[in-house]
Amino acid sequence: MEKLVEMKRITKQFPGVVALKDINLDVYPGEVHVLMGENGAGKSTLMKILSGIYSPTEGEIYIEDRQYKHLTPEISQEHGISIIYQELSVIDELSIMENLFVGRLPEKRVMGIPVINKKYMMEKAREIMRLVGLNRSPMTMVEGLPISEKQLVEIAKALVWNTKVLIMDEPTSSLTLDETQNLFEIIRNLKKQKVGIVYISHKLDEIKQIGDRITVLKDGAHVATKMLCDVSGKEEIITMMVGRELKDKYHSTCCENTDHEEVLFKVENVSRADGKVKNVSFELRKNEVLGFAGLVGSGRTELMNVIFGAEKMNCGKVYLEGRELKIKNTYDAVKKGLAYLTESRRETGFFDNFEIWKNIAMEESLRTSKWSGAYGLIDENAEKLEAQKHKDQLNIKATSIHQNITELSGGNQQKVIVGKWLAADAKIMIFDEPTRGIDVGAKSEIYKIMRELVEQGKGVMMVSSELPELLAVCDRIVVFNEGEIRAILEGKDATEELIMHAAT
Amino acid sequence: MSNTKQTELIGQKKNFNYWWERIGTLLIFFLLFIVIAIISPAESNFLSLNNIINILYQSADKIVIGLGVFFAILIGGIDLSIGSVMALTGIWMGMMMNAGVPVFAAILAGSLLGGALLGAINGALVNLTRVHAFIITLGTQWIFRGVVMIISNARSISGFPQEFKQVVNFRIGNLLPTAVVIALALAAILWFVTTKMKVGRNIYAFGGNPEAAWFSGININLHRLIVFVISGICSGIGGLIITAKTGAAEPLAGSSYETFAIAAAVIGGTSFFGGKGKVWSVVVGGLIIGLINNGLNMMRVDTFYQQVVMGILIIAAVTMDTLFLRKKKS
Ligand SMILES: Nc1ncnc2c1ncn2[C@@H]1O[C@H](COP(=O)(O)OP(=O)(O)OP(=O)(O)O)[C@@H](O)[C@H]1O
Ligand SMILES: [Mg+2]
Repeated sequence: MEKLVEMKRITKQFPGVVALKDINLDVYPGEVHVLMGENGAGKSTLMKILSGIYSPTEGEIYIEDRQYKHLTPEISQEHGISIIYQELSVIDELSIMENLFVGRLPEKRVMGIPVINKKYMMEKAREIMRLVGLNRSPMTMVEGLPISEKQLVEIAKALVWNTKVLIMDEPTSSLTLDETQNLFEIIRNLKKQKVGIVYISHKLDEIKQIGDRITVLKDGAHVATKMLCDVSGKEEIITMMVGRELKDKYHSTCCENTDHEEVLFKVENVSRADGKVKNVSFELRKNEVLGFAGLVGSGRTELMNVIFGAEKMNCGKVYLEGRELKIKNTYDAVKKGLAYLTESRRETGFFDNFEIWKNIAMEESLRTSKWSGAYGLIDENAEKLEAQKHKDQLNIKATSIHQNITELSGGNQQKVIVGKWLAADAKIMIFDEPTRGIDVGAKSEIYKIMRELVEQGKGVMMVSSELPELLAVCDRIVVFNEGEIRAILEGKDATEELIMHAAT
Repeated sequence: MSNTKQTELIGQKKNFNYWWERIGTLLIFFLLFIVIAIISPAESNFLSLNNIINILYQSADKIVIGLGVFFAILIGGIDLSIGSVMALTGIWMGMMMNAGVPVFAAILAGSLLGGALLGAINGALVNLTRVHAFIITLGTQWIFRGVVMIISNARSISGFPQEFKQVVNFRIGNLLPTAVVIALALAAILWFVTTKMKVGRNIYAFGGNPEAAWFSGININLHRLIVFVISGICSGIGGLIITAKTGAAEPLAGSSYETFAIAAAVIGGTSFFGGKGKVWSVVVGGLIIGLINNGLNMMRVDTFYQQVVMGILIIAAVTMDTLFLRKKKS
């Protein structure tokens, strides 16, 4: 069979780093070629070369018998290459429909004058949106959609045009199980139409389900390319990626004898005016990680937003160590010992004008400030040392803590945000999808840190759409549905089935 | 001791970008300086000490108001009311002095507190209405100017005590005008605020990503208010400089000075995307404006042409910023 695309001996250098060394990659029609590797291995960079955003330092790209030294986005599009970027590129100020056609508006001629073909756009948008499972009007503004639906818009964008090669860079990092299964259905259909797919993901369970062939990168170098049927299991993939084996249970070993009765943090009858959270009460006990499960839009993030003072609480009370906490705004929350890692790093997580160290230093700086954050002097040296500590602890791959955060790979950006909240030294930590885009090795590191935090007497709450993660880390799991708590399960009794049953 | 060692370990690599960001504007200043020195006619004495001091003296007010609008731009906003604030604070000072208030009390109340008050009005209006600062300060530009006309009856006020003019015109060591010292002292204070104080770091964070700033615990409304108060104080000091220079408070003083301020800020590399810019670069931006005005005067270029040059410069500066940013993003 003829190859759709072949990348040969690709090398890419950035100032101070070699992101790719001598990489070969090819894609056949009708196959799903899985690309794996740790954070910063070079996956996104390789794909951005294929979509024409970056030029390789060395190497060639062969498409349909033509040889290129480098591509441009236009050439890449002409050859039918579409890409779903790791970071959302949807435009908030436009409607879903406009987003789908952005930059390539379909035209029709009215008396010889080209005008936008609205009718066609509308029909096509409806069709594609049905396909990806987006149940909204095409005229809905993207702003205000939950992040998972933004991701679906992003996927839909790549499906509007006839594609020969579809690159998917972590398309499921913010999707739930159902949406993921729906995406796999779409992928299977595309395979039948002989579309070649490059699929990047850190979710090992997906790989066997959908992949045909796998290529593993490590530190910019090629490790192996194999048929997935020749791969024995997850463990083999992990070993190829990380070079060692990992354990995946992180329950506290002293579950039985620690005092689990003492209540650290309590939420009582919390509601929102918009009805997205209704009368929610729960307790976070000492030495436990409390998980929050539920479908997307079930109100978990909305609840955390009001607890942290980022959005208005209609009624309800919050207690820390028995005393009522009055939180007027987010500054109050930080000051009183709360930390909140939000679910969307690009939109609400990091400052793209800051270096790594300034991003990490932000919370500690606010917590120790006076006058609502306005008064206080900066101790640069202390901040840099702290940042360096977290860079080492979380194994953030960067040239130094002075590198701008936008130059990091997606997973490493996420680690910076985790580091920023760890540096805040809060009493109660809320992590909303903390491991989004993070590789398996680093994930287990973060779980370990969470366990250490609760053993130091801090409270940890984790919202996650990945059930295996919740089951592996949490002592108890709160299940949400339509803004209400449906069940609170003991971690050791919980199963995926029980959670899903309560969540739907 | 181990501390210094460790920070050395994590010290920054200083490449081209690092230096360009820091001293790029200064480089442009010196290039322009050399070019003007070469092409200006010899008899104009462009290079004389007197003229160089004169450039500094003429730049002082541009630097001061440039620093003010710099803060507004840093958070992704703008302040178009600068010129009107200059006039209103000037009139206030004049009326107080004519009513017998001592010079320094009038400066404190009129220029500093008055500027802060008008800035606070701008900030509070943006906070309350959530309308972009462009619209709000466009509105207050007219409102403040209107108030000037009403309270002054559209007539200029003068006849101030002799010390008042000395506040900006006194020459230290018979050489350096106090106006320049005031501008540089203000820059030093604001440099300290932006780089050493938490409020400065927060303002940069706010400009870089307002959503993330809010979710990180930065009190957005408070910081916006602070930014406009700073901008108001700077305009007040600008008002002091132009009023004391001539010794008269004119109702039309400061008209279209906001363009000088914005020009100083953007020529100094302040990004309209928010979150990027440096105090000292704005100072150099103000100096560049003073230099060009002075140089073109020396070459006897018509003021109308000077306006054309200034316009081209603003467009060039912002274009460079946009291109640079675009290159960085891809
Ligand atoms: N614009 C850039 N400037 C400098 N270095 C960069 C830039 N983009 C990427 N890099 C570096 O190249 C390396 C590979 O990054 P890449 O984004 O391809 O990783 P990745 O495999 O996609 O990781 P992740 O799983 O975290 O998304 C990283 O070390 C990163 O820091
Ligand atoms: Mg990536």
